[in-house]
Amino acid sequence: MMHAVRSPMLQAVWWRRISVMIVKELRQLFRDKALIGFFFWAFIMDVYLAGSGTSMQLVNAGLVVHDADQTVSSRELIYRFHQPYFRFDGLVDHPKDGLRRLDFGDDIVLLDIPPRFHEMLASGESTSVQMQVAATHSPQGLSAASYGARIVGEFGLEASARAMGLSANGNLSLPVVRSDHRIWYNPNQDESWFMSISEVLTITTIFAVLLPAAALVRERERGTVEQLLVSPLSPFQIMFPKVAAMTLVILAGTAMSLFGILHAIFNVPMKGSLALYFAMTTLYVFTTSGLGLMAATIANNQAQVSLMTILVVAPMINLSGTWTPPEAMPIWLRELMLLSPLHHFVNISYGIQLKGTGLDILWPSVLSMVALGGALFGFGLWRFRRQFR
Amino acid sequence: MAPTSTQHSALGPQHSDTVINVSAFVKRYKKYAAVDGVDLDVRRGEIYGLIGPDGAGKSSLMKAIAGVLTYDEGTVNVFGTLVDSERAAERVKQRIGFLPQGLGLSLYPDLSVEENIDFFARLRLVPEQELAQRKARLLTMTRLDKFRDRAMKNLSGGMKQKLGLICTLIHEPELAILDEPTTGVDPVSRREFWAILAELLQAKGMTALVSTAYMDEASRFHRLSFLSSGKVLASGTPAEVQMLAPGLMVTFEATPQLDAITRLKTQYKQVEALGSLLRVFTEETIHATAMQSITSSLGDITPVQLRVDEPELEDVFVALLLRQGEQPTAVEMPPATPVTSNDALAIEAKGLIRYFGTFRAVDRVSFQVKSGEIFGLLGSNGAGKTTVIKMLNGILPPTGGEGWVAGVEMKTAGEAIKERIGYMSQAFSLYLDLTVEENIRLFAGIYGLDRQETKERLAWIVSMAGLKGYESSLTGRLPMGVRQRLALGCALVHQPRVLFLDEPTSGVDPIGRRHFWDILSRLAREEGVAMLVTTHYMSEAEHCDHLALMYAGRIVAEGSPGDMKRQVEKEAGQLLEVATDQPGLALRRATQAGFSGAALFGTKIHLLSLDPPQDEARLRTALSSDGVHVQDVLVRPLSLEDVFVYRVMVLERQEQATVKEAAA
Repeated sequence: MMHAVRSPMLQAVWWRRISVMIVKELRQLFRDKALIGFFFWAFIMDVYLAGSGTSMQLVNAGLVVHDADQTVSSRELIYRFHQPYFRFDGLVDHPKDGLRRLDFGDDIVLLDIPPRFHEMLASGESTSVQMQVAATHSPQGLSAASYGARIVGEFGLEASARAMGLSANGNLSLPVVRSDHRIWYNPNQDESWFMSISEVLTITTIFAVLLPAAALVRERERGTVEQLLVSPLSPFQIMFPKVAAMTLVILAGTAMSLFGILHAIFNVPMKGSLALYFAMTTLYVFTTSGLGLMAATIANNQAQVSLMTILVVAPMINLSGTWTPPEAMPIWLRELMLLSPLHHFVNISYGIQLKGTGLDILWPSVLSMVALGGALFGFGLWRFRRQFR
Repeated sequence: MAPTSTQHSALGPQHSDTVINVSAFVKRYKKYAAVDGVDLDVRRGEIYGLIGPDGAGKSSLMKAIAGVLTYDEGTVNVFGTLVDSERAAERVKQRIGFLPQGLGLSLYPDLSVEENIDFFARLRLVPEQELAQRKARLLTMTRLDKFRDRAMKNLSGGMKQKLGLICTLIHEPELAILDEPTTGVDPVSRREFWAILAELLQAKGMTALVSTAYMDEASRFHRLSFLSSGKVLASGTPAEVQMLAPGLMVTFEATPQLDAITRLKTQYKQVEALGSLLRVFTEETIHATAMQSITSSLGDITPVQLRVDEPELEDVFVALLLRQGEQPTAVEMPPATPVTSNDALAIEAKGLIRYFGTFRAVDRVSFQVKSGEIFGLLGSNGAGKTTVIKMLNGILPPTGGEGWVAGVEMKTAGEAIKERIGYMSQAFSLYLDLTVEENIRLFAGIYGLDRQETKERLAWIVSMAGLKGYESSLTGRLPMGVRQRLALGCALVHQPRVLFLDEPTSGVDPIGRRHFWDILSRLAREEGVAMLVTTHYMSEAEHCDHLALMYAGRIVAEGSPGDMKRQVEKEAGQLLEVATDQPGLALRRATQAGFSGAALFGTKIHLLSLDPPQDEARLRTALSSDGVHVQDVLVRPLSLEDVFVYRVMVLERQEQATVKEAAA
């Protein structure tokens, strides 16, 4: 891209052109009050809300019980479905009433305890309880089912131990495999870490695609791009300053989120190198904005660019492993997602922040991003040149 | 300074056939008063004009009358109904047709011509049978019948506007409100538009309120109001308005021109350079004294080819604006680099060709522009003017031919060409969210000026364009005229030897336009900058040293403005203006009597005649046999618009003839 550079004088002019263009982009951006407001909201409030508000774990799941037994044992079992996982919403007289509550969405679990439950346990006979789970919201439903199964299972184990004449707390001489697990990188299993980091990634992606694309389309809409085209600026000198300016702004936003929210409020650690993290963010924003510039050369106006951004960004975020594990996807989709810069950046971002990894481990992701970024930006540049022919 | 006629029409008793009555109308946007105390009285059957530059308040006023905009003070009566609420507006809407501003904005781009008409007709509940009749008649009249099935987005600007007019009038409203229907439309289509409108109004007894930013269209109205900054500066019939600023226009040649201008400006407010001609407005009303006073104020410079004319309405408006206290900002051209090379060719096009797909947009265009020359490229929408400029600029590669700009071949020069040219594009293309100074500094940086040069050029541009005091204002808040001068300044930041201006003055008020042209002629004369200008304002083409008229991608006529007029005069004759008591009937009779080019111009008829005395006699007999009383017949000087329209009409007729031949 440095084809124009021949002598020191020309080189100085080349850099002056780049710098006045960057300054221009920054000025225009800061005069756009609405955009600035949106920017602060996204990088501060949105990240905060994501980190503090939502949870993927089973919390407060509504439970109703049809207790046909009404004994110590049945009450004991009900008692074990407790907060914070389950919320006991009372007894129903008939299973049908319980199902109705599931229909209405008031509760998601109906536990049905048969008559003679206590009696059969006491006499050492086998018995079963029925659990009906509403799985419209599948993760929540599936968790409820598995939690429920575990509770019932443990209760059954204790009951059988008791039936064999052993006290629940007594020394159990039966062979039992106990699982001892240790949790790495997020020892307290604090979900706000994951959620807030994911949100920063999401917002970075949206802005990295949208800002340069919108800036370029706006120039075309207002006709200012013609004035630039007749000046001695090369297409690279028109496009690169946009990306550079927007990258600076997004880095500032990331810093705000990182220090103002992630670090200060959620105590998310920065295990790896901060400098490396920002360097990687820069690379990521540059790569992703190539995607935006490409969209801008196809779109005719700002509305189209916004729609295209949604179209591009939504699958990127959903499928690149920000919110969902890529391991769970079909193989062809996983391979397709190797083309998404976000897929690589997710690795890098979690790696540096939570695992403290460095380039020695992350280099494949970094290389992929450099290749992707170069290709996208180059293609955008080519499209930009072509559309005026 | 409110003219008395305005007050009269507002305070006087309401006419029995008043269609619109507006009094003390005020419309504010936040604190800014867009319309500030306007009175208006429109009577049945007339074409009433609202004339004024962008931002004068025309659109706000028209929208309020059409019942689609609320207002803050005053009253608006339409058909005797006070339009002050949505419900009141609903009562009169069926009797109104409203064409909002903007080329084709009220139409649906993806629907065909016929589908658009059908949609508007059904919206207005026009019975199908009547719709078919009206549609057939209107389509024939507007010559759109061949394009029934073409999607609206594929029509030319003039055709879109004609379709807009059909859709507005398909329910035969009693009142048509047309907001700048001719803006951005080329002169031929404009004339056609006016002719159609006049015919329709006459046939159906409709009334029309029409706004325009073209001052030279003022004479087409029965009565008019001239608006500026939300106030009425003048109103009445064109003749009445003319009386408000009595005076004469004196035209002559004087060398050295720049000294002559300096001397004249000490005494006269309106001094214009039109190529080699000077044009001065004097308040003297007697021809001899007018000439005398000009000669004496010139001192030892002797004017030649002195000529005295009645002023145009545009001159009157400028005079009124100046009297209002709008001082023309004096152009102080700072000392510049002396002109080194003269008579050198600055631009040369040799057989330029450009295809878009299979469509030949530019067809073997050749011309030359010398240093210090202002070259005007005229033509209808889509004639290929902008494409030519873009090719010479290096934005668009030509399919064939060569172009030399500032001494370099544009195909091989690449970036080098761009450092030697300045370009001002059709739309205002500076950053509205940057200040004046930031814009200038941005372009200084882009053209690689260093700190010292930037400082010097900044000072030069500010004083040249009269931007003092505006340096730190946001460009978006500047008036149109100031913006255009800033755009010119930015195009000149690197002292280019060649300047391209693509319709530089659209939407600028007359004073701003004259100021702008003042700067351009000084740039050409003093600094030897060569300029290639395209414009829709034919009155502006008079400023050019040399003109070329483009039609369908080709140059079809070339010469100085004077040459071009003389050519047409030789071919088709002089312009006769006929005043009668029944203009509509008179026009029909005149056309039947063989005056094929006759057209209605307000209440008067314009026609070309090779032999004025004989034709006048023939016309008088033809008309008087029908009981039309001919009040007056005058020979008027041809305008460039007349030249343009004549040339294009001849070509269109030739084209149709060849098409027919081919068909046969």
